[in-house]
Amino acid sequence: MARMKFICDAERCIECNGCVTACKSEHEVPWGVNRRRLVTVNDGKPGERSISVACMHCTDAPCMAVCPVDCFYKTEEGVVLHDKDLCVGCGYCFYACPFGAPQFPQAGAFGLRGKMDKCTFCAGGPEENASAEEYRKYGRNRLAEGKLPACAEMCSTKALLAGDAEVLTKIYKTRVVTRGKGDEIWGWSMAYGGSGMLADQPGGKA
Amino acid sequence: MTTRIARGLGALVLALAAWLPIAACAQQAAPAAQSAASPQQAASQWNQPPAWNDVSGKGQYASVPGRETNILIQGAGHEWRKLSNGPITFLGGIILLIPLAILVLFYLAKGPIKTHDPLTGRLIERFSSVERVAHWTMGLSFVVLAITGIVILFGKHIILPIVGHAAFSSLTVLSKNLHNFVGPLFIFALVIFITLYIRDNFFSQGDSAWFGKFGGLLSGEHVPAGKFNAGEKSLFWVLVVGICTVMSVTGLILNFPNWNQGREAMQLANLIHGGFAVLAIAMACFHIYLGTVGMKGAFDAMKTGYVDETWAREHHQLWYDEVKAGKRPEKIVAGTAQPATGD
Repeated sequence: MARMKFICDAERCIECNGCVTACKSEHEVPWGVNRRRLVTVNDGKPGERSISVACMHCTDAPCMAVCPVDCFYKTEEGVVLHDKDLCVGCGYCFYACPFGAPQFPQAGAFGLRGKMDKCTFCAGGPEENASAEEYRKYGRNRLAEGKLPACAEMCSTKALLAGDAEVLTKIYKTRVVTRGKGDEIWGWSMAYGGSGMLADQPGGKA
Repeated sequence: MTTRIARGLGALVLALAAWLPIAACAQQAAPAAQSAASPQQAASQWNQPPAWNDVSGKGQYASVPGRETNILIQGAGHEWRKLSNGPITFLGGIILLIPLAILVLFYLAKGPIKTHDPLTGRLIERFSSVERVAHWTMGLSFVVLAITGIVILFGKHIILPIVGHAAFSSLTVLSKNLHNFVGPLFIFALVIFITLYIRDNFFSQGDSAWFGKFGGLLSGEHVPAGKFNAGEKSLFWVLVVGICTVMSVTGLILNFPNWNQGREAMQLANLIHGGFAVLAIAMACFHIYLGTVGMKGAFDAMKTGYVDETWAREHHQLWYDEVKAGKRPEKIVAGTAQPATGD
């Protein structure tokens, strides 16, 4: 069984925001909610690099651990999803998440939080696959259609990769070997534990 | 002539000898200098520890608007999770059970505290209607906050397994909204309460003696006290003024995420709020016990505003003496049809 993960290759990302736009368009996420965002380091200076950040679908997901109503679940492919019917909008997942993935529509008075929204790895929610209800709450379920997440599919430089971890690390390894530098995978240590170094990943071994 | 040529050649050789090593050095040094200046070379540090660690927690540039969207990784959530799911939940649960156990044992062993002498039927005003309204607004909102808070913090472990996910979610939505909306009401009542009650809660001379004998609670000895005894005064300062104020400030930080506070402030506020909440509930249990089943006549003081003369003399003698001497605003109401309190 595949273990779904994201890799963002800072050596390739050109901060075009194509992934952000693809995500918003694919799932018709409401105003103020950004399931994916770009963060640029050294903006406008030598050595500028960008990273596309969304839910990393962590191994020991902090959101799952702290949710007071236990609304999160993990698919067989390692995708962390949640049930919006159970979510109470307390914001605890937002306190716990290191990547800033949980989003809350703050349309209500006094900053009252609505139901949490986050990246689903284009895998929908607990509703029936490809149902109208699922689309309304979580957006399109591309995984059920046999497709990969829209953000990575859209990425013009293939900086953002989504899919089975072993396949991703193999692709990343060929890049690292060609470039001859930079064998740390951004965010992996935080999301999946361990070192985050390519050599320590299943597909990254020599 | 030849010597001049020889001299000239010698100088040339010397010059060459001097120049060559410099040139060689320069050839070696040139790429190094270039590497330090060129952006391409500087970038080789990316995807190599600790490059990302050094920048991930700091604010960078992000085109997506919003609070802290420009931060790549905020790792403090892991610490928050450990403390919240660990000590706050586990130790907190134990701390909540301790007063319940003590009070049940105390009630079974000693029963409610009664007055020794028969009631006179003469009533003394103890709390004005304004004081009672302030107390009950604060007290009832405290109870609502305590119960809804317990549902949010412990419900996952004690209620969810019994009622299931859907029912527990509905209960928690209700709890969360009650908690968020009753909270500001509690703060309002808290301010009024402190203003009204602070006057009689300053520690005075008899209080050290009261502490020494613990109010005669265990020995049954009579310890004179003012309008409030030293135990009540301690509760006022520690629970009401101290803990409840901290709870109010941290509660507001959590209740209004539209103020510009970041995640770190909310993580910290949540831990303080949870930790102090458990202490507050544990302390309030003792007060609620003594104000209801634990002491005859105490509940009427806050319900009707009046206490029997005997109750006043036996529990708050210094206050009673002052009322009798006419030094207090409270007055003795002579002869009601039936003794309303203390039996």
